[in-house]
Amino acid sequence: MKFKKMAAVALAGVTACATAPAAVPVFAADGYDHEAIENAGDITITMMVSGVATDNDFETEQLPALIKEKWPNVTLEVTKLPDDNYYTSLKTKLASGECPDIILTQPMYAGQNSCYALAEAGYLTSLNDLDCVQGREDSLSSVTYDGDIVTQTAGVSILGTYYNKDLFAQAGIESEPQTWDEFLEDCQKLQDAGIQPIVMGDKDQYVMQFGLYQLAADEIYSKNPDFDTQLRDEEASFTDEGTWDKVLEMYNTLYEKGYIDSSKSLGYGASQAITDFIDGKAAMTFDGSFNATALLADGAAGDFERGYFPLPGTDGVYTATCLSAGYSIYSKSENVDACKELLDYWMDGESEVWDAYLATGKIIATYGNGADSSPNYDLFKPFVDLLNEGKGFYWCNQAWPAGTENEMLSLFSEMVGGQGTEISDITEGMQDKFEDLLDE
Amino acid sequence: MAQPKMKRKGANTSLVFTNKMYFFLIPALAFFLIFWIYPVLQLFYYSITNFNGVNYDFDFVGMKNYIKVLDNGTLTNSMKNTLIYAVLTVLISNVVGLGVAMILNTKIHFKGLFRTCAYFPALFSAIVVGFIWSYVYMPGSGMIASLLSMIGLDGAAFNPLGNYKTALYAIAIVEAWKAFGTTMIIYLAGLQTVDESLLEAGRIDGCTEWQLFHKIKLPLISSTVTINVILSVISGLKAFDYSFIMTNGGPGKSTKTLMYQVYETAFTDMKMGRASAFSVLAFAFIIIVTVLMLLYMNKREVEL
Repeated sequence: MKFKKMAAVALAGVTACATAPAAVPVFAADGYDHEAIENAGDITITMMVSGVATDNDFETEQLPALIKEKWPNVTLEVTKLPDDNYYTSLKTKLASGECPDIILTQPMYAGQNSCYALAEAGYLTSLNDLDCVQGREDSLSSVTYDGDIVTQTAGVSILGTYYNKDLFAQAGIESEPQTWDEFLEDCQKLQDAGIQPIVMGDKDQYVMQFGLYQLAADEIYSKNPDFDTQLRDEEASFTDEGTWDKVLEMYNTLYEKGYIDSSKSLGYGASQAITDFIDGKAAMTFDGSFNATALLADGAAGDFERGYFPLPGTDGVYTATCLSAGYSIYSKSENVDACKELLDYWMDGESEVWDAYLATGKIIATYGNGADSSPNYDLFKPFVDLLNEGKGFYWCNQAWPAGTENEMLSLFSEMVGGQGTEISDITEGMQDKFEDLLDE
Repeated sequence: MAQPKMKRKGANTSLVFTNKMYFFLIPALAFFLIFWIYPVLQLFYYSITNFNGVNYDFDFVGMKNYIKVLDNGTLTNSMKNTLIYAVLTVLISNVVGLGVAMILNTKIHFKGLFRTCAYFPALFSAIVVGFIWSYVYMPGSGMIASLLSMIGLDGAAFNPLGNYKTALYAIAIVEAWKAFGTTMIIYLAGLQTVDESLLEAGRIDGCTEWQLFHKIKLPLISSTVTINVILSVISGLKAFDYSFIMTNGGPGKSTKTLMYQVYETAFTDMKMGRASAFSVLAFAFIIIVTVLMLLYMNKREVEL
């Protein structure tokens, strides 16, 4: 029970720190029709999410069955598409006015299904009157647009450093690093022991974000949580000294010293790096809680013990943690109240659907039944503890117009690839792209 | 007494394709207009707006998108990459395709089997080919790296997709590997139209095999060469698949082609208006290159 409370407070803390152009929500007093489904007769509710369906998939198999069990008059039709197909399909359906009733959206400006972009275009219904958001308003600021909560999300996603405890012990490392210098010392010990310290699949450039955003939490947001708001207000810049230049320089050190082997990583895909890690070919990899299942699987090195720690900064440890993607209701849906009733049942923190949702291990729940018994919760506990202490910050790109991070990654990739790109080129490139993308 | 009707000059006198037959063109024409011409016109329309792909409450911005595309250097970089990619794929797929077609046009055993094998890569989708070659190129434990290690070379250092200088060439080779089967089939068809008696006459006159190829076969299949080269050029200029599947445009921006840049601008940057302007410019570029190539090739055909 203690964990449940801690987790709830944690989420409130981290997202309160998140900067968002959102006003304080004002909630409807009367709420929606809580018997919309019961009074509707036979209805079909459509839902579209991104991802790849697996055996006994939660969204496409378990959820429709559990909803049918609860309300025999409801047929939930779920379509699950790979990310790119999902984005294309979503845009097409929105443009044609045929959008599914419930869709998967991401916090702030993240991705092509960002809740802010969709809300701005008027496609999302206000969820202020959902029972499951009451009391969590502050923690949902990253999905609140112009005073309206537009996405219901139940969990957080974490970025961290997975490590192989056996290889750490082999190199004589006894505890997790608490500062950047300690981390570099540990990398050196591993290298001296003939162990590749870190493996990354930089051919898929997005994985560079996994390390960079952890350092940004340590070095930028811990000192100035409003940095991104100031960027939009032109009161701060990516080129400001001691901000992104420092983060990029720190991360580049890992390549310069060979802790990440750029001659190899630039030709490696994300899945190949994961394979190397679970095969015991490298001691660490930066990745997210969303990839825990793959990173905890047995590889050629067998079932070795794994740990997960936040990458420390120069002045201590902070964590890059954000709200997970969640569910929104299409504003022109004919079943808005029925969808709200369905979401409330699913996300109530105690229903059978909620338990099945949690059992997928894809979310780190912050309230309700079993928040502290989520799969791999022990692994994520240090991060939750940091959240409790107010040392957690959202992933930077969620506050940037989509595309800014790609410019950063392309230029950083050029630098580690030895193309003569300097850190100042990267920060200038980021600032130019940021301004360009904000330009209407 | 009624006068016989005078037929208008140029009137349709065909008994087979009467005027009524034109009605049957309407469905195909409608499909063509709705699903091809209209979207192309829409592209021009969106190119002068700030449409982001989601919000239909957009404004007209005049030529701003075109100016941005020309100003920010992305067009130059992607055009350069596209041209290198196209030249490589055209050269490799045509030279290899013609060479294999020549060999498979001779009297050898298991000719059918070899022809099938040579055409095999063309049957796979780009996704499958991209994934296969990602593992072939993988540093350390990839197929080529393993082979290099087996013969005592440093396989771990072999990393063509992770190197700025080689990534574009590496994916161009993959495209050529997949495409050469198709060019080979077309060349094979062309070579089979060459009259054997001309070759025989050449041999009697003392021609070497090279002279037979250069002076007889090549001129006679010049139209086939034109078709293959033009198709390869068009395909090369529209390059997208392997940049997307194998390198994501990287490392850095080294494999960003015109089409990849359009995709990224539209779907990552969410600048649909600017992506439309980019597409219009890319469209014009491809048309110009193709027409110039076609004129040149036709001229060469006449000379040969």
